[in-house]
Amino acid sequence: MAQYLKPLPTITPLNQPYWDSLRRHELRMQRCDKCARVWYPPSPLCPRCWSRQFSWTPLSGRGRVSSWVVFHQPYFKGFESEIPYNVAEVELDEGPRLMTNLVGIANHDIRAGMRVEVVYDDVTADLTLARFKPSTS
Amino acid sequence: MASFDLKDKTAIAGAGSSPFGRKLHRSPIDLAAEAIANALDDAGLGRDQLDGMIVSFGSPLGADVDTIAPLLGLKLRAYSQTWAHGRFTASCIQWASMMVCAGLANAVACLGSWSLSHIRRPKFGGAGDREGAREAGGGHGEDPVFGMTSPGAGAALVARRYFERYGANSRQLASVPVAFRKHAALNPNAIMRAPITVDDHQASRLVCEPLRLLDYCLVNDGAACVIVTTAERARDLRKPPVYISGMQPLPGGAEEFIWSYPGLGVAQQSVFDYDAGVQPVYRMAGVTHKDIDALFTYDAFSILAWIALERFGFCKPGEAAAFTQDGRIELGGELPMNTNGGLLSEGHILGWAHQVEIVRQLRGECGPRQIRGAEVIQWANCYGDSMIYRN
Repeated sequence: MAQYLKPLPTITPLNQPYWDSLRRHELRMQRCDKCARVWYPPSPLCPRCWSRQFSWTPLSGRGRVSSWVVFHQPYFKGFESEIPYNVAEVELDEGPRLMTNLVGIANHDIRAGMRVEVVYDDVTADLTLARFKPSTS
Repeated sequence: MASFDLKDKTAIAGAGSSPFGRKLHRSPIDLAAEAIANALDDAGLGRDQLDGMIVSFGSPLGADVDTIAPLLGLKLRAYSQTWAHGRFTASCIQWASMMVCAGLANAVACLGSWSLSHIRRPKFGGAGDREGAREAGGGHGEDPVFGMTSPGAGAALVARRYFERYGANSRQLASVPVAFRKHAALNPNAIMRAPITVDDHQASRLVCEPLRLLDYCLVNDGAACVIVTTAERARDLRKPPVYISGMQPLPGGAEEFIWSYPGLGVAQQSVFDYDAGVQPVYRMAGVTHKDIDALFTYDAFSILAWIALERFGFCKPGEAAAFTQDGRIELGGELPMNTNGGLLSEGHILGWAHQVEIVRQLRGECGPRQIRGAEVIQWANCYGDSMIYRN
């Protein structure tokens, strides 16, 4: 695998299970055992009910595009060859929104509200990213 | 507020700035020193009478209070500082007001300085995006793993969300930078003074789509400072006091995203129809929108002006696109905004140059860009904080 030049995530004890699950090609987030809230980014407790009883629960990996941008100015060396590249905010069916890149679609075809599903992108031997592609369901 | 009502109890007694420029090649401490000295002189205060200081932003781009104070030979009873964000201008002034009322200090310099001359492009975002590497991500939505970086990208995300939700577009958004550039043309301290048109805006390059270069503020060097003291002391000083009549603090939590109001649905915000109601700052100052002679706002990106207008109820969600057309936010219009030219054209002095301009407007010192009969001016931001000043 070629050298990976893009920024790496800041992995902490709090978000480690998220990144570990992606490596297994699962999208998991914390789900409150008390009130069933699902949240992201990882928090030490349920932001709604403050319970520390939660489970890293597999999600559907499906959602909708809530907003997106297209970078025309280079900032990171590792992304320079992909300009103009998109960054989208996807609202998962379970509620949380996450930042991602949309793949398998031209930037000018991206629309608000379009259905998308997760793609597990193994960018290095140790790192898998959750990217999203258009979905029919 | 019953037990500690600060309405008109404190005032800005002096305001001053350094030169603003793209390549001043002066250090932040040097720029801060000039702004502080000018503000003290404006107030008719000596440096021995300055016993408090609150700095927003600070190092590595700006000067920190604990280096400014000894290098300027100051003896402070009280100081504080925020972290390196532009969102804290009103907070600093609010804390200074409380400090002078509580007797913790007599005169507090509130300021920000920075110098970007020595930073290679791009100055925000990219490999130096320390904020994006923060646990749980950046305060403007930065997530460098996906190439999401820089404060402007967060504003672009809000702009796209707004455009899609309300059917607005980039051409309408041009009204904001075009208006502020007209104001800058009347301001000899402004960095960018050449007029621009809507077509110039549309022809400017896309930086982070849907935002273009002319939707972005300047990146520059400079410092500005205001001196807060009690209204009683201010009345005995050199210039007429500019009273602090209303304050609204900075809200936080899951329903807040820095460049957006609650309900818009960015980051983890819920989606609902935002209703500004009567924001607390108006109740405290005892005024309504009709009394506001000018509105100043943190315009790091053009879209932030729309968000601020709607957040504070000058118009309803989705209406700012129409509200800002036809000169309404220009000098001579119904609600002049950022008569200094704002961060978009005067220069990015972290919101402090806006405070200096408000003081000068309320004293009638603004020459060709003077708002006739200005009595009440508001500072109100997309992130929800505000000040109402009067003369």
